[in-house]
Amino acid sequence: MTMETSKKITFARWGNYTVAIKALFERLGFEVVLPQTSNETIVKGVKHAPELFCFPMKILLGNYLGAIRQGAVAVFSAANSTGSCRQRYYGIVQEKIISDCGLSVEFVHVPLSPRKFFGVLSKQSGKSNFEIASALLFSFMMLVMIEKLEARARYARPRELNQRDTDKAVRASLELLETVKSFGDLYRAGRKINQQFSLISINANKPVPRVGLVGEIYGVSEAQINFGIEQKLGEQGIEAHRQMTLLYHLKKLVFPWMDWVITFRTRKYLGSHVGGHGRDAVSEMLTYVKDGFDGVIQILPFGCMPEVTVRPVLERIHKESGVPFLSLSLDEQVAEAGIETRLEAFGDVVHSRFERKLAAQKILDGNHDMLKL
Amino acid sequence: MAISVKASWRTNAACKIYSGYPNTYCDLQTFLLLRSLCATPVFLFPCKRGFFCYYERMTIGIPKAFLYWKSPGYWETFFESLGCKVVVSPPSDKNIVELGVQAADPETCFANKIYWGHVKWLEGKCDKIFAPRLKTNEAGQEYCPKFFAIPDLARIVTKTPLLTASFDSRKEAFIMTLQRLGREVGVSKKDVLAAKTKCDDGCAGIEKKNRENFWRKMDSDKQKILLISHPYNLYDEYCNLQVEKKLNQLDGEAIFLDEAASLGSGGEFASKGVPSLHWEFGQEMLKMVPSVLARYRFDAGIEISSFQCGCDAVIKGYVEDVFRARKTPFLYLIIDEQTGEAGYQTRLEAFCDTINARA
Repeated sequence: MTMETSKKITFARWGNYTVAIKALFERLGFEVVLPQTSNETIVKGVKHAPELFCFPMKILLGNYLGAIRQGAVAVFSAANSTGSCRQRYYGIVQEKIISDCGLSVEFVHVPLSPRKFFGVLSKQSGKSNFEIASALLFSFMMLVMIEKLEARARYARPRELNQRDTDKAVRASLELLETVKSFGDLYRAGRKINQQFSLISINANKPVPRVGLVGEIYGVSEAQINFGIEQKLGEQGIEAHRQMTLLYHLKKLVFPWMDWVITFRTRKYLGSHVGGHGRDAVSEMLTYVKDGFDGVIQILPFGCMPEVTVRPVLERIHKESGVPFLSLSLDEQVAEAGIETRLEAFGDVVHSRFERKLAAQKILDGNHDMLKL
Repeated sequence: MAISVKASWRTNAACKIYSGYPNTYCDLQTFLLLRSLCATPVFLFPCKRGFFCYYERMTIGIPKAFLYWKSPGYWETFFESLGCKVVVSPPSDKNIVELGVQAADPETCFANKIYWGHVKWLEGKCDKIFAPRLKTNEAGQEYCPKFFAIPDLARIVTKTPLLTASFDSRKEAFIMTLQRLGREVGVSKKDVLAAKTKCDDGCAGIEKKNRENFWRKMDSDKQKILLISHPYNLYDEYCNLQVEKKLNQLDGEAIFLDEAASLGSGGEFASKGVPSLHWEFGQEMLKMVPSVLARYRFDAGIEISSFQCGCDAVIKGYVEDVFRARKTPFLYLIIDEQTGEAGYQTRLEAFCDTINARA
């Protein structure tokens, strides 16, 4: 096969998943201009986007604009044709804005239904079906590894003995994954990552309060816009949990019954879906409450239609169950210091609740022993 | 003693009395049925003819916001012809908006906050508040996600029981949903059909009036300004800050989009590159604006948007483009609970000066 000059493309940055998405496009034979999220790109996105549009759209637009300046000629954007919220129009509006800016790039709307997705990729890359399937498998495996390491990091962070050990391991692992080119390398990288995480010295017996993160998927999983909330909680000695990951979203696209279960679980609180992941947030919060978590944090972009709609419902669950609840809405005006202060205060509430719970448990256990005697 | 309400002939028998004749003579069995059906207390007095059954008709509260403005008067007529008493909340004012702002989530759109204000106002003034869940209209287009959860949120906001049904034309025909609604009030399907016909006639009357208004306004010599927004922003006098009155004072003629569109839409005028929206209100605006502008001469356009309206964020750019392409002045106003009237007055005056300078 003759090597043609590969097309320079870009896509939206998405937290740690960026590595997996980049791997997908690289295996498809594109040259990837890695999008960056910085204050500069955010400002640029905010400047060009409609004022009242939601925050992720502005960030993505900033990503694209920055990458186009670096030479990208095509933008791959996930197009959702079934949702009820504004995410459905991200691609269309962004395409219009980019062309209004006088930039001529190819804007590829990648539909999220599995079959169409495959079709678009094969048309764009000109690769054989086998190659595309292998690229998809490769990036999927990488995605699974990334989520696994994220989960391990969430577990290790509040328990680590030497501060920042986990962060170092995460960073090293992601850097390692970025260099991976073949399935064999991926396997070896997996072992290496496992090794790195087992080397973190943790105190596994330390009782640690748990906090669930619910909310809009991008805000929850992109550490750059939520100011590394998982890390911040970990540093406070709180274990963060979240169900809302990219894998969860993909699973929901493939298996419809996940939605049926959620519908059933939330029927008392919400009689209908509200677009986006609104109903999922309610269902997740209910699960967290049931599992005895010590707090729930909702993260949403300012004015996110589904999340704003379900927030009163989440507050109702919070009032009924007594589990501390914090809602953080993020936009370009939010400062890190403000979020930090609120998280610290919330952390205090969570800790005091957890300690009370522990004390009560101790008394109960003591009584139990006495009864046995 | 329990009587099955599900048996249809019994229900219908009770319904007939319930809907048609508030205080009537009946037998003991019907009384018990009535009691199980009615939301309001039912009293029974023995008398010569058997029993005299006394009860109050159910009072239904309709918030004068959001859906109400889609077809003003529709739901009052509907419930009144079903034999219910109807309380409509008063036009929005400062108190209602304040109630709403307190009750609603701080980040929802302004129109939504006003809606909760109306629901709060109705609290305790009626037996049930009518708060339907709107999902898709008859054309298969969705409403905004904020309409999807109205009953769920209303249960949090107010303790008054709700009269609710899910209007989802993809799953159930409109008339079937109405009949289900009728059953909750205790009315037979036939009566619901009759009520619907009456309501549709009322709607036709409004259309006719809109058309007449439109021609009358188009005939005037004043500057013609097209007002674009969702019906619930446009017709709510508090929400639109009496823009019609203000424009009239500034020697302009305000023409609502609905009035202009009542002459039928022209699909052939739809401009290129405009996406088809899945939101009902948004699609209506996006479709109507180009066709109306292509047909009639307007001197300017004003779009009113409530703060944090998700739909307007998407369509604003497209509406603006239509005006820019036709070189027509266009003003975009965002309203929220902190909007001052003086600021508006200034902007409208400046805008009118621009139009006059062009003319």
